[in-house]
Amino acid sequence: MDEQQIWQVEEGETRSAGIIHIVITALLIGIGAVVGAFGSFSLPLGFGVNFFWPAIAVQNVGGIWFGAWGVIAASLFPIISNGITGTPVYVSLAYIPANLVQALLPMLAFRYFKADPRLNSKRDWIVFLASITLGNIFGALYSPLVVLKGFGLLTAESVPVFIWGWFGGNEVAGIIFGVILLKALSNVVITTNAFVKRWFA
Amino acid sequence: MKMNKTILGYVPEESPLYRIHPFVRVFFLLVVSLFPMLINAPEWNLAIIVLAIFLLKYSRVNLSTLKIYVPVSLSMGFLILLSHTVLGGIHPEFYVSFKLFGFPFYYERIVAAVDVYTRVLPMIFLTVLFLSTSRERDMLVAMRWAHVPFVVTYLVAMALRSVGMVIEDFSIVRQAEKARGFDPQGKSIAYKLRQFVMYIIPLFALALRRSDEFANAIVARGYSFTGLREVKRPDYILTQYRFRVRDGLLVAIISLSLVGVLIIRFGLGGLTLEGSLTLQWLELWLKGGAA
Amino acid sequence: MSIAMRFEDYSWRYSRTSEPALKNVNLEIAAGAVVGIIGPNGSGKTSLAYSMNGLIPNQYNGIRTGAVYVLGKEVTTIPQAQLCQQVGLVFSDPEAQFTAMTVEDEVIFGMENMGLTIAQIKQRLDWVVPLTEIEPLMDKPPYEVSGGQKQRVALASVLGMRPPIMVLDEPTSMLDPMGRQRVFEVLGKLKREYQSTIIVVEHSLENLVPLADLMILVYHGEVLLVAETEPFFEQLGYLMKHDVFPPGVLEFFYQLKVAGHYPAAWPLPQSVAAGAARLRALFEEKK
Repeated sequence: MDEQQIWQVEEGETRSAGIIHIVITALLIGIGAVVGAFGSFSLPLGFGVNFFWPAIAVQNVGGIWFGAWGVIAASLFPIISNGITGTPVYVSLAYIPANLVQALLPMLAFRYFKADPRLNSKRDWIVFLASITLGNIFGALYSPLVVLKGFGLLTAESVPVFIWGWFGGNEVAGIIFGVILLKALSNVVITTNAFVKRWFA
Repeated sequence: MKMNKTILGYVPEESPLYRIHPFVRVFFLLVVSLFPMLINAPEWNLAIIVLAIFLLKYSRVNLSTLKIYVPVSLSMGFLILLSHTVLGGIHPEFYVSFKLFGFPFYYERIVAAVDVYTRVLPMIFLTVLFLSTSRERDMLVAMRWAHVPFVVTYLVAMALRSVGMVIEDFSIVRQAEKARGFDPQGKSIAYKLRQFVMYIIPLFALALRRSDEFANAIVARGYSFTGLREVKRPDYILTQYRFRVRDGLLVAIISLSLVGVLIIRFGLGGLTLEGSLTLQWLELWLKGGAA
Repeated sequence: MSIAMRFEDYSWRYSRTSEPALKNVNLEIAAGAVVGIIGPNGSGKTSLAYSMNGLIPNQYNGIRTGAVYVLGKEVTTIPQAQLCQQVGLVFSDPEAQFTAMTVEDEVIFGMENMGLTIAQIKQRLDWVVPLTEIEPLMDKPPYEVSGGQKQRVALASVLGMRPPIMVLDEPTSMLDPMGRQRVFEVLGKLKREYQSTIIVVEHSLENLVPLADLMILVYHGEVLLVAETEPFFEQLGYLMKHDVFPPGVLEFFYQLKVAGHYPAAWPLPQSVAAGAARLRALFEEKK
């Protein structure tokens, strides 16, 4: 299957959102919550602040493989993983836009540029790196500036440090674990019923 | 003592908390968590912490389980302090209370840090209270009672179930790795990285296999996905939870207390930092009473 | 006698595989019968079970030819939700079908999907809970009970929907002998008291054989042998050639028969108790 076929809905092929997508969303939430809260590297400082957050890879690949369902899971699982570490519900809700964009951008980019999730060509790599980097930039700007600053945790002077820390930690984790997951599992995922070619199906 | 499993631990089966309808408990979390955002006076926020601890004790939660939140609470305090002091910049217009390693610790910034920290802590305590006393089923009952679409409540139920499942898978993979001599204790980052890869790939692979099995099981029991468009279905679980007059009264009290806080804060200008006892004490301690 | 299920020249091939999982299956199952389906791993037993309640083709991509009739209607013409009320399916891994937080929620899920009233659900719970002996488990998370209990919960969650046909796909593959026996005790009750049509895909035959009226051998996607239980196991040599491992008692008497120590005209006993009775009769005769 080449990269065109991966995303192309063939003539006569019927694709509709189904129970399998609800299930995969729930399972992604489970993986993301556990990896986010208990991962060997994740160091939850509370309030959703983590240094090096491997769960971002779940957001990235979730969007790429499972479209809008991956984006929904990416937006919701931090509520659970943050909750486990004692983060208040309103803080978790405030993070939703960042989490959403971190999954949405790779999702859109792979579909728009018809990139292969197996990362076979240089172009696929560029689409992957650019999309997750843009998502991370948004997340790294939004989270310290809007959430942490908004809840009064940070002073204006300290915000740049947190922006850089946030971006660096997520970017490295996203690249390392995102690449490993895409390389190891895309071949299987694209043949499953849960794989999403368009937005929801 | 027989225990009920909650999201964060266990609460005794006979906990008086179960007399209260699950919706009231969710409502309490959502409303009272707003209070620290509206209240600046640290002593009032500390009172919310005391209330949360009282409710934890009343619910017969084993308070030793709260130990796991000590590091998070301390790290939050450190983060806030760092941001307000060392990383807070140079401000000649502020009063220098003392210097540490050459960094000026400004009175205004310490007050702000205390203000923020005493607002963060009750929010953490309220979250811990809710998660230590609520079973997954309570959350579903609360949502269904509030007429949240079934597909959403079902997704939440499955998500919570899958968290438990993934934790189980995670520990099985970890034990299997330990049994093969793969121990991250005191090892390099590269070693730990390799270990993490060995966790995350099986977790995803298992999830993919399970997605088919779960979907088949759901379809085989006649559930059809209709999106947010509701198909009328009976709600048997709700019949086991009665929303009593007492629950209605509690909702009214919680709502009225929110209204009260709003009025005192924005109508009467109360609950502010300026009028607080803590500020007076900080002023005495950090400024030696200097204006 | 009415027909519960009929396969007509039925074949199924999964997408991305070159060999069909099921080839030209022709089969009739009478209402009220207990049917055992046996065959080695990968022979197509699960595909056959999934074809009975519409999971194939509704949940899988592939090529389907021929027809499957459930209570006289072709499977693809019946909406899935309706089909589930006619054919209940219990899976081999009970845990893989649990999506609820308590056993009670798990058991009522199917009934709620059917749109039963609260009173009807209560009535059915009163029937199915004692039948499957899961009363003490109702408040527990289904994934925290023992293996045998899990499978009885899975069984109850399907039985509660009262389907006239029950299909069980290797229901005891993950259970210890005691757990297996208890699942088959429930099936025995269903057969005796409710005359349900029960189709069991199984590897372990000790409990199935005494219960089954009809046996089916599936091998490499083909139905090779369909016969009533006694004549089916008279062809034990043929079955063993096709990787079927019969219960010890059957194999023991088969070997005696082959060696000429057991009368050729006597049927092979299907349970240990029947085997003991035959041995006693044999010794009496030899005296």
